Amino acid sequence: MAYQLYRNTTLGNSLQESLDELIQSQQITPQLALQVLLQFDKAINSALAQRVRNRVNFRGSLNTYRFCDNVWTFVLNDVEFREVTELVKVDKVKIVACDGKSKYGI
Amino acid sequence: MAPGVPDRDGLPKLYKSVIEDVIEGVRELFAEEGLEEQVLKDLKQLWETKVMQSKATEGFFRHSHHTPQFTLQLPHNFHRVLQASAASLVIPTGRGFQHFTAADLGASRMGATLTLPSGIAYPIHVPAGVTLQTASGHLYKVNVPVMVTQAPGDASVLHHPVQQIFQSLGQPSVLQANIASAAQVNASSAPAAAETLQPQETAVQQTMVFQPNVMEKKHLESSANTTLVQQPSVSQQQLATNAVLNQHADATEKSQHSNLYTAVFTPESSEGFSPAESLANDSSSVLLDVEGQLDVEPQESVQQQVSDDIIDLIITGKSLDEYAVLKVQDSISFSDKMEPTEQMESNLQSEKDICSDIEGIIQLDGTGDVSPKEEIPHTKDREENESIGIIESEDLKVLEDEEDDDEECDSISNTESSSSGGDNEEPQIDIVEEDPLNSGDDVSEQDTPDLFDTDNVIVCQYEKIHRSKNKWKFYLKDGVMSFEGKDHVFAKAIGDAE
Repeated sequence: MAYQLYRNTTLGNSLQESLDELIQSQQITPQLALQVLLQFDKAINSALAQRVRNRVNFRGSLNTYRFCDNVWTFVLNDVEFREVTELVKVDKVKIVACDGKSKYGI
Repeated sequence: MAPGVPDRDGLPKLYKSVIEDVIEGVRELFAEEGLEEQVLKDLKQLWETKVMQSKATEGFFRHSHHTPQFTLQLPHNFHRVLQASAASLVIPTGRGFQHFTAADLGASRMGATLTLPSGIAYPIHVPAGVTLQTASGHLYKVNVPVMVTQAPGDASVLHHPVQQIFQSLGQPSVLQANIASAAQVNASSAPAAAETLQPQETAVQQTMVFQPNVMEKKHLESSANTTLVQQPSVSQQQLATNAVLNQHADATEKSQHSNLYTAVFTPESSEGFSPAESLANDSSSVLLDVEGQLDVEPQESVQQQVSDDIIDLIITGKSLDEYAVLKVQDSISFSDKMEPTEQMESNLQSEKDICSDIEGIIQLDGTGDVSPKEEIPHTKDREENESIGIIESEDLKVLEDEEDDDEECDSISNTESSSSGGDNEEPQIDIVEEDPLNSGDDVSEQDTPDLFDTDNVIVCQYEKIHRSKNKWKFYLKDGVMSFEGKDHVFAKAIGDAE
């Protein structure tokens, strides 16, 4: 089982909304929708691991941190994200990070 | 994906590949469920549409049928040009030619409506006399040459040389730029009407930013695809709008609070006698009942809800009495809330009248020397704003004199002390009181904003999180970032924070 972490992304949320619509119109069952999401978890995990190659650096000030159930949650303020191609500045960003070292689910 | 592929191009491809993988992966599942292929196609279509609409990926689709960002209505004199160029229209630009697919060439004499694909490259130079129509239906007639450029925020910005406006036309009606001003909301004309854009001379600088406040305010829910003009300052506008709305909300809240306070204040007068009821004999309970009737009847039902609060306010002590006084004063400061206070005044007077009557009843032993009337006018002379506790203690003193009961004395003293900080009433009083009192001590936690969808979020995995004193180092991997709605991905991310 892959991390369900990426369901709260644009891609994941749009998939969930689409599945909800199909469930509403009774075209699929909730169980099937769950299977689709599980498949999505696998696909996105492997895609990120294999198809993405870029690096990003960032710097900011830490507002809050939380470590619970092996999940880190940070809130940073005034952050600069630096990539080779571009620079992005945001006032606030929330980082949710699952354990990347464990082989579980990857 | 090749390592050298820029993220901007790679992201849509990545998403598409993920979608394809997922759809293929569940194809068998769908077949097992006995579902038709059409359902799967619907799912894919829905999914792709939502991803497109979220503008998280730039140029996700470059098909011509993609929802255009805006349509151009060209005036009559351009009609020929449209016809001459067959299915394509060429609008001269400062940098080159932009070709557009004309959706309707021979629509009307007034001009043609062009559908611009989203993939067009900016900047676009729009000549004078063009009417711009956003997908949301708003029409903006451009009487001067404008330049439509693409802002970093993936929206088009209209820059028009102001000098030309004033020099070439000299007309009062030209482009109107509604710089972020919430007040402009009211200035918006009726929808669907061709609006003439007029410049704001005060705000005009070298280049003006055209902002359709009207559209924004009226179509807040519209997707980004419909925005004609720059959105970088939209947040500003929205903030202004929110500020206006908040002000309204605050005003509403204040009025509601004043309602609360005034409602509170009146029952106080009735509740002021509740301890008396507990202290004195039935006669005072009669007093209370009468008072209750007098007080409650003219008031609204809101009082009932706050009666507990009122008890709390009364009983919990002088500081709280002062607090109640302040609250009452605040409530009285609202001119439109004077009616309840007037009622309260009448209630107090009626209470005192009845108090005097009942004291006559209570005074069986004839020990009461102090006439309640002497005291009551004294309290009457005081401002209404003074704490009910004082009035209460006054009445209680009267009762005390008449009753000369130790229990009453004790209880009265208790009540008096309670009016200065006792706790003989429900324990809830203290709790209710402390919340408003200590609420200012807390530093805002900002937990709620964390839950906002518009928050910039990174979902990733951590390889290592390191901290030295207050310096943190983050080693992250395989992440998806969303900033202001735009998505990015990374294989590795290294960060510092303090």
